[in-house]
Amino acid sequence: MMPAMAKIQVLVLLLLYIAIQCGSLNVDTISSDIKIKNVDRSIDISSQLVKITSKVTLENTGKVPVKNFLLSVEGGAKSNLAFISAKDQNNKDLRLVETTVKGYDQVKFWRVELKEAINVASTAIIGTESVYTKALQPFPTAITQQEDQLVKYNGNLYFYSPYPVVSQKTNVVLNTKSVESFTKIKPFSQQDGTIAYGSYSNISPFTEKELNIHYKNNSPFLTVTRLARLIEVSHWGNIAIEETVEIEHTGAKLKGPFSRYDYQQDHHSGPASVRSYKTFLPASASDVYYRDTNGNISTSNMKVKKDSVELDLRPRYPLFGGWRSHYTLGYNVPSYEYLYHSGNEYLLKMRAVDHVFDDMQVDELVTKIILPEGSTNIVVNFPFTVTRLSDSLHYTYLDTKGRPVITFTKQNVVENHIQDFQIRYTFPRLLMLQEPLLVVGFLYTLFLCVIIYVRLDFSIHKPEHQHKD
Amino acid sequence: MPTTAETKHSNGRNKGIFNNTTGFSTLITVTVLSLAWLAGFASRLFAVIRFESIIHEFDPWFNYRSTAYMVQHGFYNFLNWFDERAWYPLGRIVGGTVYPGLMITSGTIHWILHTLNIPIHIRDICVFLAPIFSGLTAIATYLLTSELWSRGAGLFAACFIAIVPGYSSRSVAGSYDNEGIAIFALQFTYYLWLKSIKSGSIFWSICTALSYFYMVSAWGGYVFIINLIPLHVFVLLIMGRFSQRLFVSYTVFYIIGLLLSMQIPFVGFQPIRTSEHMAASGVFALLMAVGALKYLHSLNPKGQWKQLLILGGLVAAGTVFLAVVLLTYMGVIAPWSGRFYSLWDTGYAKIHIPIIASVSEHQPTTWSSFFFDLHVLVCTFPVGLWYCIKNINDERVFVALYALSAVYFAGVMVRLMLTLTPVVCVLAGIAFSILLDLVLKEDEMQTAPVETEDSKNLYDKAGKLKKRTPEPVPAADSGLGMNVRSGTLIAFMILLMLFSVHCTWATSNAYSSPSIVLASYGNDGSRKILDDFREAYGWLSQNTAEDARIMSWWDYGYQIAGMGNRTTLVDNNTWNNSHIALVGKAMASNESAAYDIMTMLDVDYVLVIFGGAIGYSGDDINKFIWMVRIAEGEHPKEIHEADYFTERGEYRVDSEASKTMLNCLMYKLSYYRYDSGGSPAGYDRTRGALPGHRGFQLTYLEEAYTTEHWLVRIYRVKKPDEFNRPRLPLAKRTIPTSNNLSKKPAYDLGPMTSKRRKGLLKNKPTLVKGKKMTKLE
Amino acid sequence: MTSLASVIPKLYQEYTTKTSKKLKIVDAYLLYIFLTAVIQFAYCCLVGTFPFNSFLSGFISTVSCFVLGVCLRLQVNPENKSEFQGLSAERGFADFIFAHLVLHIVVINFIG
Repeated sequence: MMPAMAKIQVLVLLLLYIAIQCGSLNVDTISSDIKIKNVDRSIDISSQLVKITSKVTLENTGKVPVKNFLLSVEGGAKSNLAFISAKDQNNKDLRLVETTVKGYDQVKFWRVELKEAINVASTAIIGTESVYTKALQPFPTAITQQEDQLVKYNGNLYFYSPYPVVSQKTNVVLNTKSVESFTKIKPFSQQDGTIAYGSYSNISPFTEKELNIHYKNNSPFLTVTRLARLIEVSHWGNIAIEETVEIEHTGAKLKGPFSRYDYQQDHHSGPASVRSYKTFLPASASDVYYRDTNGNISTSNMKVKKDSVELDLRPRYPLFGGWRSHYTLGYNVPSYEYLYHSGNEYLLKMRAVDHVFDDMQVDELVTKIILPEGSTNIVVNFPFTVTRLSDSLHYTYLDTKGRPVITFTKQNVVENHIQDFQIRYTFPRLLMLQEPLLVVGFLYTLFLCVIIYVRLDFSIHKPEHQHKD
Repeated sequence: MPTTAETKHSNGRNKGIFNNTTGFSTLITVTVLSLAWLAGFASRLFAVIRFESIIHEFDPWFNYRSTAYMVQHGFYNFLNWFDERAWYPLGRIVGGTVYPGLMITSGTIHWILHTLNIPIHIRDICVFLAPIFSGLTAIATYLLTSELWSRGAGLFAACFIAIVPGYSSRSVAGSYDNEGIAIFALQFTYYLWLKSIKSGSIFWSICTALSYFYMVSAWGGYVFIINLIPLHVFVLLIMGRFSQRLFVSYTVFYIIGLLLSMQIPFVGFQPIRTSEHMAASGVFALLMAVGALKYLHSLNPKGQWKQLLILGGLVAAGTVFLAVVLLTYMGVIAPWSGRFYSLWDTGYAKIHIPIIASVSEHQPTTWSSFFFDLHVLVCTFPVGLWYCIKNINDERVFVALYALSAVYFAGVMVRLMLTLTPVVCVLAGIAFSILLDLVLKEDEMQTAPVETEDSKNLYDKAGKLKKRTPEPVPAADSGLGMNVRSGTLIAFMILLMLFSVHCTWATSNAYSSPSIVLASYGNDGSRKILDDFREAYGWLSQNTAEDARIMSWWDYGYQIAGMGNRTTLVDNNTWNNSHIALVGKAMASNESAAYDIMTMLDVDYVLVIFGGAIGYSGDDINKFIWMVRIAEGEHPKEIHEADYFTERGEYRVDSEASKTMLNCLMYKLSYYRYDSGGSPAGYDRTRGALPGHRGFQLTYLEEAYTTEHWLVRIYRVKKPDEFNRPRLPLAKRTIPTSNNLSKKPAYDLGPMTSKRRKGLLKNKPTLVKGKKMTKLE
Repeated sequence: MTSLASVIPKLYQEYTTKTSKKLKIVDAYLLYIFLTAVIQFAYCCLVGTFPFNSFLSGFISTVSCFVLGVCLRLQVNPENKSEFQGLSAERGFADFIFAHLVLHIVVINFIG
């Protein structure tokens, strides 16, 4: 009886789950009412990331006001996409919902929900921003110590959109004049550090035209392959943060020997290598430590600024292409800046990921939040979609039941993801007395034991001695 | 009587302050001991404060690595651990070749703390283990000395041992080595031995055996115990001090201790198979024989037993001796090992085992180091010894033997200074206690507290002096000799103060360097940390293949395995001399010959230490002559030490150096593209010379990494397809090198005097700043 | 030699008269252990010592038992009261038990 019931229950739950999944998997259609009047696009490929910002002028050519429209990303680039956002004219963030369109399985779509509907025959200007990681391929893939690093960018010359585009311009920012080759489709112009394409007019929806740029890029190609962030909350006024960082130089690999002589002779040697980078910590960070499994890494400088603490981190060795390193960076922040409470209800507001270096790319982020022992009713609110892992317990000094640990992970993280998460939980304040009481109790029993032991020492041994003698 | 002894003991250990009869003095004892512990602990923290909580030097890295392994994989897996990361391609059975006491101790502490939810990293436990055990050593020394003389002397001895440099040299925070816990085990075993010989109780003998077991599990120096205690028994027998107590305590200790010591896999059957342990069994047999004869004598006291006793004893001794000799001859019992021989004949190691002689710790001790390590104690301990001999009893015979043998051993080998230190502290404690007894005879009530005050003064250093001076004042008005007395007292207090200042200074300056982090001081007093070792090891661990094999001189084996986590060919275990000689040969050969050896050994990377850029004297070029000597020992045909010296017998690296020297792998790897350093580019600051052979290219290797200050240089061994392409130049290059080879015999033709063979290092002494082997003695 | 021959019966006589019953029991025990040791030794000479650790643990445990027995005998012997001050016979026996406990734990571990 029971197993059958359980089976049915499971089945029902499964069906329910599938139904929910289907429901959440939105299906949209491409509205033919929308036309893009103008696109002003800027592709920044001067760092290791590809940052595309576009100013899109939408026009409603239909008969009803338009409440939302679709953003799309090419099938080839969607796996590299780390972050996408849209803003309206007032620089307010708009809500993006992932969606699909029948017949375009390869393409990735977002439905942007506008705050104010676009009325018939009027226009709206939307700013979009997207960040791609690993879109720049070093070519050649291996260079010697003295060589510059050349990379290839492979993108779309046109703004990729489900709607027809009337006119568009693209500006590619390279920050270098040494360009080996680039796609030449007129009209275009090259000025120091930038290549301007356009304007092109009347491009039909979903048009792809290859844009290739092969140029010198010596900016640090550093990838954080894994970032484990541990946040330990104490109600005694302190939040300890520890980040374990595994880092790799993902630019062109070092070919041949590394020569210290060349590296020392001239400071432009190893142009593609990374000697140091800067990490910004919260302004209230204190007790910073920087170490790896072999102990402190003694080469770092700390500067306290007004709004942040700037750490100049130097890995133990300069990072050349293909070289890896790892370290642990930890610090404390006072809890009053991040922890709010009313009565027994607490709210923790902290960054899900923090700055590691400028234009960072993180392959895998794992954030763990350790709440005080005895916290219950935990509700978590994430700023972006993450994979939440199962909760666990953590035992440390004077713990009896263990502290609840919230863990979540996310792939492909960039600087734009530095946003706050929120955790609400209930913690009876009386529980704070538990740990001191535990110590007091322990000492008390210890002394009691000593007293009892000493007393018993006499009562047991004396008769024995008498007996002996 | 024995009850008081027992309660006294339990008071000392369990701090039974509530004992009303001895309450006050117990309180003082406990306070002094805990303060001594504290002072000993604090004075060992210089390295942690100055640098960081890190494991020091060479051997501790292995101990740390195996402790971490044990904590991670459990005790049984640790005992069966086959480490394929060491001694490639042989591997090493770690569980069977290690004294596990150290790992078990810290593993147990780690386990206890973690069951209490105290998440201390195993590294911190390892770093602080030795300082914590120094406190236990102080307590054990107190117990030992109070068994020997008086509690006051015990307190003195405890305070001495807590801070004396001879001991703290091996037990500063981070020096995670066997000696750190072994000295405690040593002292405690001796204490229990004296206790058992005093009481004749089986219980104390068993305790001695258990403590001896701990010592066996911790350090190879247990051989010292197993020879000293039989010696003690033997001497007592000769002195006619046989007693049934002696019989009980020794026989029980020996037989249980024998059984227990064989439980350690590394020791195995050695206690019945090697000559080092035979003295103990001989004495055991002798004691049995004497005991039996005594018993017969007691049955019939009238017979002419006296002669029979002597005769029987002699016959028994003779039989045992002959049996041992015979068995040794037949090969059942292994003869004395080379390390043991080198204790008797200081020149032995130099001739036969260069690998032992190459370690600086195995050099004979200089006189200054006695003073440096023991300071005032070295002058006062003969006084204590004299008093012990003057008022002799069974225990004092023991301490006299202990002192004499330890003095001898310390004179033979620097590192055995460690075994001398405790007994010096004990005897000096006795001496100071006697002195204070003399000086403060009048008011006997005060003696005890004053003593302890003095001993406290030891570690309170200069600041406490003011408190000290009023002490003799009440004594001053009680008679004529008072002035003399107070004068003496003040003089000795000043001595003790100087002692404590010296101890702090020596510990802080001489013994607190982690040696993997170097500090240099600029002209303005600013400190710069040279972290090249960790830079290189970090590089290795991150940027080489997981199974890469690193060839380096054996000194760095443990560090590469511990910090770099890579496979090494040879390490500080030095159990396989021929393997080490092969590495030495590779370093001493020219590039192409070395390449053959390196391909044979599957070497991926070669690591050399080069101090020329910063003037670091413990680098591989300075150790190189030992590599040559060790290689020559195994490969006398290919390697000749004399080839590496100039014709005048000098060891140099500049243009006057010999061809062989200038073309050997070690030389090339050290100076490859080296052009930094002093004012002429490429000046070697360690040897004060401009390298003789510069601007050369490497054919079979390429520079993989060199640290910031050139201290560690790592080369990658090229695969065969990588250098075959320039086929012709390679062929061209090999011809001149083979010419060099054919020239070599030309140097050798002349008759070689031993003086020439030995050669001279141009600037530096032949000491190699390497470290000890795992196996002692 | 002749004196030795004459001494032995005298010794035996002394022994039987002087030794208390308690000690005789201990002596019987010692004799038994001694014989065991002899047998073990003969066995090892004839058959060999193949599992060396087992042989060793067996042999050493016999020797230890003998030694401990002798020690116990010394301690309980009222004649030796002056030697072992404060060690009562009971204390001696307790120590004996304790030593055996340690001994046998080790032997079991060692015998493999």
